[in-house]
Amino acid sequence: MAENNDLQFIDCLPVNDLVVPEGETLHLEMAFFSVLPTGELKIRVKKGASLEAALADFSIGSSKLNVEIALEEGATSEFHLAALGKGDSVKTYIPNAIHLEPHSESLISSYGIASEKSNVSFLGTSSIEKNAKNSATRQEAKVILFDKESKGAASPILKIADNDVKASHGASVGRLNDDHLFYLESRGLSEEDAKRLITLGYLKPIASYFADESLRQRIESEIEGGIYRV
Amino acid sequence: MATLSIKNLHVNAGDTEILRGLNLEIKDGETIALLGPNGHGKSTLLAAIMGNPAYTVTEGSITLDGQDVLAMPVNERSKAGIFLAMQYPSEVPGLNSADFYKAALNARREQPIKLFEFYSKLQKAYAETEIPFEMSKRNLNEGFSGGEKKRNEILQMKLLNPSVAMLDEIDSGLDVDALHVVAREIEKQQQTGTGFLVISHYARLYSLIHPTRAAILVNGRIVVEGGPELIERIDREGYEWIKTEYGVSVEKEIGKPMNDMSIGACGTKVKVNG
Repeated sequence: MAENNDLQFIDCLPVNDLVVPEGETLHLEMAFFSVLPTGELKIRVKKGASLEAALADFSIGSSKLNVEIALEEGATSEFHLAALGKGDSVKTYIPNAIHLEPHSESLISSYGIASEKSNVSFLGTSSIEKNAKNSATRQEAKVILFDKESKGAASPILKIADNDVKASHGASVGRLNDDHLFYLESRGLSEEDAKRLITLGYLKPIASYFADESLRQRIESEIEGGIYRV
Repeated sequence: MATLSIKNLHVNAGDTEILRGLNLEIKDGETIALLGPNGHGKSTLLAAIMGNPAYTVTEGSITLDGQDVLAMPVNERSKAGIFLAMQYPSEVPGLNSADFYKAALNARREQPIKLFEFYSKLQKAYAETEIPFEMSKRNLNEGFSGGEKKRNEILQMKLLNPSVAMLDEIDSGLDVDALHVVAREIEKQQQTGTGFLVISHYARLYSLIHPTRAAILVNGRIVVEGGPELIERIDREGYEWIKTEYGVSVEKEIGKPMNDMSIGACGTKVKVNG
């Protein structure tokens, strides 16, 4: 019988490594509003267990976060990350998935907005180890550069050491789409407002991964507030 | 009610000159059918009037009731009363349609629109364009069919109530029923005094919205202007007669082959490259 567990971390990282026991499901919510400590988060997803994790980072200041999700046989994991870079912060996220055993599945999806002089990078690796046959992995990353001086990097890497696997990645770093901007401006929105509305659309989906209603609202207002402060 | 006046307009797309000294005037409440072979600049004209940054105006003027349109950024042109229904409306991920329409309405008001007023306005526009109101909760044009996107453009026109509306192939992708809905809403808008500049390849739409005049754009200029009978003639005979009667030889294309940006309507790549 599978059990469900919920864990929530606000402005702090789990102190110890996390383990999702065999056959269980862990729903993990992490939100950072004031500070994201530089550090490491290790999660072991045991046989037939699943992990659903969401991380939203609106914190001020620089940080570097390493995430390592290790998957045993038949384990599944979804990790959704959204980040808003402000000021002159340098934010680097390295979300890694390691498929240790067969029939494991993982998805890592990272969305970032770099505003002002900030730098947002997603440098995760999804690896399928030897003997992890019939596993499937996807690693995607997207960074939107909001301002002229904003910087970003999206470099999702795949490392595959066995056959009969499915692996894919997708990456993009870029300014806002000119056609979209023109479309919105042609309806009377200023360039700034058009940029904000489009940007909102990139970040907002992260809120849907948070089950806690009040936290979800806080994230939504943080996204709107964050974008409008820019 | 407004007059849009275009004089000696030269427009480049990249290094290629598409419009080469175009003159056209849309007076109060007129509906002009803009005709011409593919790739001769019809969509470019509409895009340049709206201020699409993909095009550069190198010479000439565009004025709306004497105001210098070329000096205005895109959003100011919209607020001044110019509207463009796009040939290929963008799908904007994550942007809720209703939120966008509210922002567009608020952009032209001193005080933000009251929620109740907004929703009654929105509901009316959806009902009249026969789009299910549920669609207002969806992201802007995301996953919409071609016909739904076009009706959505008409919906925006109704919400913004422009003084000059430009429609770039609004009838492409519409089935017969939807075409009638769109034509009916255009007619209603005409009755309020809105002027129209309409590109279509089909006499069908024109027969429903009764243009007051027709203008034929060839080689980057308006070479013939006349009454609506021109529409029927072109529908029947094509553009060959322009050569014999007006001594204008219709170029196969303007400049180099169209590149892959959405240069709009008539940049059919097949024809251009073939």
